[in-house]
Amino acid sequence: MSRIVWLAAIVAVLVAPYAVTSPYYLHLLVTIAIFSIVTLGLDVVFGYTGEVSLGHAALLGIGSYTAAVLSMHFGLGLWPAIPIAITVTAGFGALLALPALRVTGPYLAMVTLAFGTIVQILINEMTDLTNGPLGVKFVTPLFFDWRPYAKMLPFLDMSMKRMKEMQYFYLAAVALLLTILVINRVLASRYGRAFEALRDSPIACDCMGVSVYKHKVIAFVLSAAFCGLAGVLFAYSEQYVAPNNFTFELSVQFLLAVTMGGRKSRLGPILGAAIIVYLPNLLADIALFRIVAGGIAAVALIGGTISIVRERESWRRIAAPVALCIAFFAFALALQKITDFKLAIFGVMILFVVYYLPDGIVGFLQRLVVRRAGAKILADPALASRPEAEPIAIRARAEGGAALLSVDEVVMRFGGLKALDGVSLSVAPGSIHGLIGPNGSGKSTMMNVLTGVYAPTDGRVRFAGADIAGHKSPEIALAGIARTFQNVQLFGELSVLENVLVGLHHSYRSGFFAIGARLPSAKREEALARARAMNILEFVGLKALAAEEARNLPYGKQRLLEIGRALALDPALLLLDEPAAGLTAPDITELIAIIRKIRDAGLSVILIEHHMDVVMSLCDAVTVLDFGQKIAEGRPEAVQRDPRVIEAYLGSGAAAHAA
Amino acid sequence: MQILLQLIVSGLSVGMVYGVIAFGYQLTFATSRTLNFGQGEALMLGSLVGLTTLNFLIGQAIGTFWGYMLMLPVVLVFGAIQGSVVEWLGVRPALRVKSESGWIMATIALGIIFRNLAENVWGRDALKFPSPLPEASLNLGGVRIQPMEIAIVVGAVVLMAAVEVFNRYSIYGKAVVATSNDREAAGLMGIDTRRVVTFSYALSSMSAAFAGVLVAPVTLTGANMGAVLGLKAFAVAIIGGLSSGVGVVVGGLILGITETLTGYYISTGYKDVPGLVLLLVVLSVRPAGLFGRTAIKKV
Repeated sequence: MSRIVWLAAIVAVLVAPYAVTSPYYLHLLVTIAIFSIVTLGLDVVFGYTGEVSLGHAALLGIGSYTAAVLSMHFGLGLWPAIPIAITVTAGFGALLALPALRVTGPYLAMVTLAFGTIVQILINEMTDLTNGPLGVKFVTPLFFDWRPYAKMLPFLDMSMKRMKEMQYFYLAAVALLLTILVINRVLASRYGRAFEALRDSPIACDCMGVSVYKHKVIAFVLSAAFCGLAGVLFAYSEQYVAPNNFTFELSVQFLLAVTMGGRKSRLGPILGAAIIVYLPNLLADIALFRIVAGGIAAVALIGGTISIVRERESWRRIAAPVALCIAFFAFALALQKITDFKLAIFGVMILFVVYYLPDGIVGFLQRLVVRRAGAKILADPALASRPEAEPIAIRARAEGGAALLSVDEVVMRFGGLKALDGVSLSVAPGSIHGLIGPNGSGKSTMMNVLTGVYAPTDGRVRFAGADIAGHKSPEIALAGIARTFQNVQLFGELSVLENVLVGLHHSYRSGFFAIGARLPSAKREEALARARAMNILEFVGLKALAAEEARNLPYGKQRLLEIGRALALDPALLLLDEPAAGLTAPDITELIAIIRKIRDAGLSVILIEHHMDVVMSLCDAVTVLDFGQKIAEGRPEAVQRDPRVIEAYLGSGAAAHAA
Repeated sequence: MQILLQLIVSGLSVGMVYGVIAFGYQLTFATSRTLNFGQGEALMLGSLVGLTTLNFLIGQAIGTFWGYMLMLPVVLVFGAIQGSVVEWLGVRPALRVKSESGWIMATIALGIIFRNLAENVWGRDALKFPSPLPEASLNLGGVRIQPMEIAIVVGAVVLMAAVEVFNRYSIYGKAVVATSNDREAAGLMGIDTRRVVTFSYALSSMSAAFAGVLVAPVTLTGANMGAVLGLKAFAVAIIGGLSSGVGVVVGGLILGITETLTGYYISTGYKDVPGLVLLLVVLSVRPAGLFGRTAIKKV
């Protein structure tokens, strides 16, 4: 299937200059290809990681002006400009993303908006470097003089102008195809999985050693790099660039293109780029504008009617957009001079797309035409029995005889409340350590302190010989502490197999180049990881469900999958936060067996659990918390008889009675 | 020294204007975790509506000063309505579909539409705004200062103080604070959080419109005055911290003064650069802003 699409794309590119003989429309095609590179890159940030960038026009400008500076001051042409511009633009991307993505919220949008304005000002002001508002001229290069081959190529136009145009079209098309290829491969790799995972559950992502911050930065820098490529191509295609080529409105248009075309697809951003490139023509010609507005109104009316007849949507939800489309058509008819209201029409388009076409044209068609087929079976049974892909591996060991984890007088304060008040505990290697206590006693807070979700107010946490208190979650995860969550935190839209693969993120070594070029080492690595993931799924009994979307699993299976995903991290210590909550009796039996197997493989486990039978049958030692303080510790049966524990659970009367 | 003092004084009034706009960002961010990317346009519209009202009142043979005073309530009401419209058209639908980024694009789109409409109503040129106070500068120990600049600082402080008092002491204000702390819990306690969000948008645009008529006599007004101011206020909001009331004032003053200093000592062309630099530096060093507190997310 995908091979056919590629073949069709290549054929389309090859014949396009023969079908489109007008230089104007050929140039339009080149611009669409260049803007597609930007929108495809933007989709990685906007569609996949969910961050909004309002600075992509400025990044495009940086690419163009890198080419300008190189040609004006260093006499370097198109070819050297491409790698240099990619590097420079990626650098600017990093400069923005590194600070802006440290906090969640609309910060990236705000910072990139400011950046866009500043870039325009700086290009205008730094006249020595950039020639200021006068702009810079470029000469479209001729790559290959095919006049000597006139006889062999009878169907080609041999005029210098046409030769340049055609060759430049091919260059832009090749750049676009390569962009698609690289983005496809990156998104299919561990990076793509990380981008999806960090949206589904940022906290689980961090606790799997996949730093949300780092991967958002990676996505933005990657996206900026594509802007650099596009910028150079844009400069040599336009033959003239000036600061006002790269306005805020263009950045908004890029966002509109991605949304309108359809996020998280390759076709969508390209379609969107075509629309925004054609938009000025549409908004300059009132007759054309009326026809298009009429067309949209007709489609909306027909589509709305079909939806109501088929009872897919209630008429209430349909009525508003359809009415809007018709009103828009009426407005188009009433409009006298279109240029005055160009921006307002553009604004209305954005509103319409945001609210009534949130999945874009591609998403809308997909929903209308075909219900998407279930996820493809990714598992290859031939891979699943490789001896080097043991389900359980351990990365860190305690130093000779010492405790694997020792928590020393940890205090966690929230305002005036001490959720943990000087708690100490120590976990021996290869043991199961229970952590129990009534609700609100600080058990989950302890989990969060141990995994870096909270930084403790005071106290020390040593793990495998290193101090980890206050370290960030991804660091701690990679040091060898894995966890599950009390309220299940799976990556719902990823498949069961992919959830485990996110846990295996740490096992990959290949970088962007190896992934983009699909080197054998990268392919081998992916195959090994998949085999390993299948073995882990077999271990927790979910092999048959590998291709299912995680959110479709029943609750008990979701808890098992969380354990599997945690095991993928190769931890030395596994923290299980109420793994039996909500499980049926047979599920619990299965769970107990799995935890035993994990311990037998040499892992240590900390188990928070309210099912006392589970705690008593599994744990080698138990710590009891109450109101943030440790009230008892020891062998399970001893703890069970401790009057303070009974008092904490049942009140003082019960304790007296038991005594 | 004299020059430095003069620059600082000039920076103060600009900084207060930034502060008021950033204050508007805070109001809506607290209740709904969203903010109006078209806030600059709210300011611009407030200022232009103010101009038209003022010119009408002056035409009725009311003096400029009393005309300005009578115009203020009109502008405040207009700002509140404009903010409600933004919330109703741009933010509420996005919050309903739980879209992470829809509100950003929608408020940008509304900003673009408002600017385009303003261009068609008031034209594209910069317009002179009659000053209610004498335009001759006062000379305070060698430092020249326009009476209107003093009015800006006073007006900004009064507005922010009024909103703070309202939030602290009225039952409606308590609803706003409760919604800021925990929207879901506030909803369960019977607070109509949707109305609180609308209200915060009304208040936010009202502040911006007020800032618009404060600053317009000193600068000029016009359909394109908003974008840059809105942007600067972003920087201020982040520098001061999106959650800190004191932060926006101090952040505004820092930015205003840095800008006048840069404009004088380096070049007026680079006047807008320190905003971004400060923004990036603050985010690198203290992501929650100079005065913001880092929220601890519960799992």
